[in-house]
Amino acid sequence: MSAQIIDGKAFAATVRQKVAAKVSELKTAHGITPGLAVVLVGTDPASQVYVRSKGKQTVQVGMNSFEHKLDADTSEDVLLDLIDSLNADPAVHGILVQLPLPGHLDETLVINRIAPEKDVDGFHIANVGLLGTGQKSMVPCTPLGCLLMLRDYHGSLSGKNAVVIGRSNIVGKPMAQLLLNDSCTVTIAHSRTADLPDVVRRADIVVAAVGRPEMVPGDWIKPGATVIDVGINRIDIEDGKTKLVGDVAYESCAAVAGAITPVPGGVGPMTIACLLANTVTACCRINNLTDGEDFLS
Amino acid sequence: MTKQTADHRHLLGAPIRDRILDEVRTYVDAAGQMGKIVSIAIDGTAEVEVYIRNQARIAAKVGLDFDQQIWPRDITQNVCKTRIQQMNDDPSVLGIIIQRPLPSHINIRSLQSAVHPLKDIEGMNPASIGNIVYSDIALVPCTAAASVEMIKATGLTLAGLEVVMIGHSEIVGRPAAMMLMAEGATVTICHHMTRSVAMHSRRADVVLVAVGSPHFIGPDMIKPGAAVIDIGINQITTDDGTSRIVGDVDTAAVTEVAGWITPVPGGVGPVTVAVLMRNAVIAHQRQRQSGWRT
Repeated sequence: MSAQIIDGKAFAATVRQKVAAKVSELKTAHGITPGLAVVLVGTDPASQVYVRSKGKQTVQVGMNSFEHKLDADTSEDVLLDLIDSLNADPAVHGILVQLPLPGHLDETLVINRIAPEKDVDGFHIANVGLLGTGQKSMVPCTPLGCLLMLRDYHGSLSGKNAVVIGRSNIVGKPMAQLLLNDSCTVTIAHSRTADLPDVVRRADIVVAAVGRPEMVPGDWIKPGATVIDVGINRIDIEDGKTKLVGDVAYESCAAVAGAITPVPGGVGPMTIACLLANTVTACCRINNLTDGEDFLS
Repeated sequence: MTKQTADHRHLLGAPIRDRILDEVRTYVDAAGQMGKIVSIAIDGTAEVEVYIRNQARIAAKVGLDFDQQIWPRDITQNVCKTRIQQMNDDPSVLGIIIQRPLPSHINIRSLQSAVHPLKDIEGMNPASIGNIVYSDIALVPCTAAASVEMIKATGLTLAGLEVVMIGHSEIVGRPAAMMLMAEGATVTICHHMTRSVAMHSRRADVVLVAVGSPHFIGPDMIKPGAAVIDIGINQITTDDGTSRIVGDVDTAAVTEVAGWITPVPGGVGPVTVAVLMRNAVIAHQRQRQSGWRT
């Protein structure tokens, strides 16, 4: 094994420290406490774990956490009314609606009801368009986490060949936009790509976000390339036990790559850290404190 | 303008334009009163006049009203915005075009954001671009959409196709890349920071180029048989002192290698205006679906 391991857990801790420092500055210098509202509809166990974890970390960095738990059969009107009131609430700077929503609720309609400047997930259609045209926007948390790790490892990304595997709205597409904004030459590969190994072998940077366990083997990786593994897949091992693996075959890729993110402990911890960072960014913008919003660099 | 010699490898815009305009004409005839397209230009930007005149002529041809407004040079950003907001609320306005360039004191992006997404027939509002990223292809930037039409006219199957887009502007390169990706192509986006454009373009089944640099693409950069979509429009002065319009591709030389090539002029350009008219139809349909119109 030769690759440097990119420690997402440690890096996320640094991001949280910077967020906490900025929060404390906003409190003392401006008397503002950033607030994140999380809306959970229903009792999906995985969502409950996420929401609890988000709430805990929000409080840990000194921000206000507002949790709104609604019954699974909540009507769309009630949910939209709640979002309207959060949009209007000056104590709330970030609004996150935990997905997936129960089937009777229209996710697109609900997400687009959030005020774009409070859309800390970056899924509102206006934020998607702003990012897609290289303008200031709220950026989805997982790809933002990947970008921060890549910048930290490489310094400048300019001129690098980046291949994003997967074209999801949540990761693949915004990741490609972010890499373009950092002047990478970007290829977006996906299920219809004719010769995926060949495409991946050209890449200085590979971001795998397909949700298929260990689908990228080491012989697809150019020696020395940086591999960012967004996948989190639970697979069965012997004796009825399970383990978490990414979208890349870790051992064989680590033998070839220059740097690689492990699963778990790579991209995963960065996502919530970036959510906290986005909330602070939103708070700065809403209060016209944009000079200070670059607190992560 | 130089005369375009007929070459079977040349992918001409005129037949595609005519097909789209026929479809628009049919819709307009059936729809009756649809409202008008408003073109906003600011006084003193004369270079766009030819361009606007052409849009007006095509609109008349398909039976759409075209209101050509020229606003005074000293108009403020706020007044522009207020006027656009009034048009958003005005049912007699079907769609809005903001002609570029604008004077430096006007922030174009802010005005584009002010146009209601349902009246954004140029596809320039961030929400329109966001919809493209999310693969909801409705109101699309016209040049990007015209380029995609040209590729479709080759008959190539887009799914799995290797496409290289050279140029990553928000008006052309990025939306074209997103549209092609939505159709299943494997898209690589190159730009001025790309280390070796040729390395990418040589393996592509389709190369689109929109960089604004004459003869940027030569025959050594193209895989034999590939389709080459030339989106560039550059005015050059030839040795005898006359000026003419060329694209970003060395057309004569690349024609000998490519399977298809769009000439400039006469390729993507004519289709662009047709897509603008088709956007007006789509805007009308969407405004109806949203209950704005009966």
